[in-house]
Amino acid sequence: MEEAKVHTGTRRIGLLVPSSNTTVEVEFYRALPRHISLHVARLHLTQITPEAILGMVADLEAQSRNLASADVDVIVLGATAPSFLKGLGYDREIAQRVTAATGKPATTTSTALIEAIRHLKLKRIALGSAYDDKVNGIARAFLEANGLTVVAAQGLGLVENLVVGRLEDATAYELAKKVDRAEAEGIVLACTNWKTMGVIERLERELGKPAVSTTQVSIWAALRVLGERQGIPGYGKLLREIGAPAHERQIA
Amino acid sequence: MYGWRGRIGLLVPSINTTMETEFWRIAPEGVSVHSARISGGRHGTPEELRSMENASKVAARDVAMIEPDVVAYGCTSGSFFEGPEWNRKISEQLSEITRAPTVTTAGAMAACLIAGGHRKVDIVTPYVELTNERLKQFLRAHGIEVSRLGTFDMLDMFDHAKIQPEEIYQKVKETNSADTEAIFVACTQLRALEVVDMLERDIGKPVYSAVQATAWQAYAEMGVDPRITDCGSLLRKLSEPGALKQPAKRLRKSA
Repeated sequence: MEEAKVHTGTRRIGLLVPSSNTTVEVEFYRALPRHISLHVARLHLTQITPEAILGMVADLEAQSRNLASADVDVIVLGATAPSFLKGLGYDREIAQRVTAATGKPATTTSTALIEAIRHLKLKRIALGSAYDDKVNGIARAFLEANGLTVVAAQGLGLVENLVVGRLEDATAYELAKKVDRAEAEGIVLACTNWKTMGVIERLERELGKPAVSTTQVSIWAALRVLGERQGIPGYGKLLREIGAPAHERQIA
Repeated sequence: MYGWRGRIGLLVPSINTTMETEFWRIAPEGVSVHSARISGGRHGTPEELRSMENASKVAARDVAMIEPDVVAYGCTSGSFFEGPEWNRKISEQLSEITRAPTVTTAGAMAACLIAGGHRKVDIVTPYVELTNERLKQFLRAHGIEVSRLGTFDMLDMFDHAKIQPEEIYQKVKETNSADTEAIFVACTQLRALEVVDMLERDIGKPVYSAVQATAWQAYAEMGVDPRITDCGSLLRKLSEPGALKQPAKRLRKSA
């Protein structure tokens, strides 16, 4: 198997997607270089409510094993709320469950988000999300529990996941502009079913600060597990500078 | 919403590493591919192939949530193994769960050969003997005779993706017999899409693959012409007048 991989140079990302998410697979595929293939398994989810999310995570081990059977090199839970729902450390607990079930390296969107924010050395951030106040509040608390200051936070108030997938990416652009504050060192856009990848570059240019989205950080974290050093242009500083040696040393 | 022109719900055997990649490769602007995995083992034993029928229902339930315009059940042996009736049953069950038209790879295989008017074909597979026999029976039931069958003879379905496109190219050339009208390369885990176009040009007859045939039927069902010009004559046929169905207006969608 290793032989075959060396021959083709192909690496595989396994992505766990909430079943009603229509966005994250598409945005992964668009951003990934050709020598990395994406393989998806779905976790049952209809609504972004705490109860529905906890039910979804029950599928975690079985679907992770489905991805492991395709011998993926990393498994990513590409869902934001399901990986921060129970607060500090819950994201890593989920990643550990995936690894325990499969023997594969694993990460989650929320883990990736914290890593990316630290990587960019941001302390004070503004948060925009697709969520309702309840879930947005949990998101905020998760960021704060991880040592960050959230200077402003606002959600679009949505609960139905399919509705989030129907939003145009202009909604992410507009909300980012609205929640930005002078004292924010960066913008965080949360929800992998929300189209964000198309507006990151423009936001960074116009706001003069890094913008991270939960889909972007998930791609970044997966690529880092694979040891990818080739920057990907068009989706903000984080992916453009993924191979920058100075950053590697800073986080080591 | 992504997939505003068409959303494909793609059910793949959990071990499959080829089909998602090939489906994304040919997806045009406005078409998106949303996968779910059919739990199962990597050995294509009769028990495993039969168990895919039930496992596919779970995957269908999850992919139904994205409101697909078509569902593709992407496994050749997992749809022909127990014969045409079994294949039809799988297709109907998945349509009921997903409320979308369903195509299966075995169904697409038969449909593309019939549409081409081919009565006698050569087949290339990665399968072991029992599975090859079942494939011949399936085609015979559709009035299609297999002249020569070339096989890589591997039980491990995961390993089928390790067969390189150039090996598939060679195997098709070796298997090609003078008295057949077309060649079909079975198994959605074989990387055949990369070589079907050059094979058609080099041997001068239609060459079809499992993924290609599934895509052909899926796009026809969705009523979308992807304008794929470099993956064989079958996909180019989607650009011909009358090739596409015009699906009834979708009732459940807002946009």
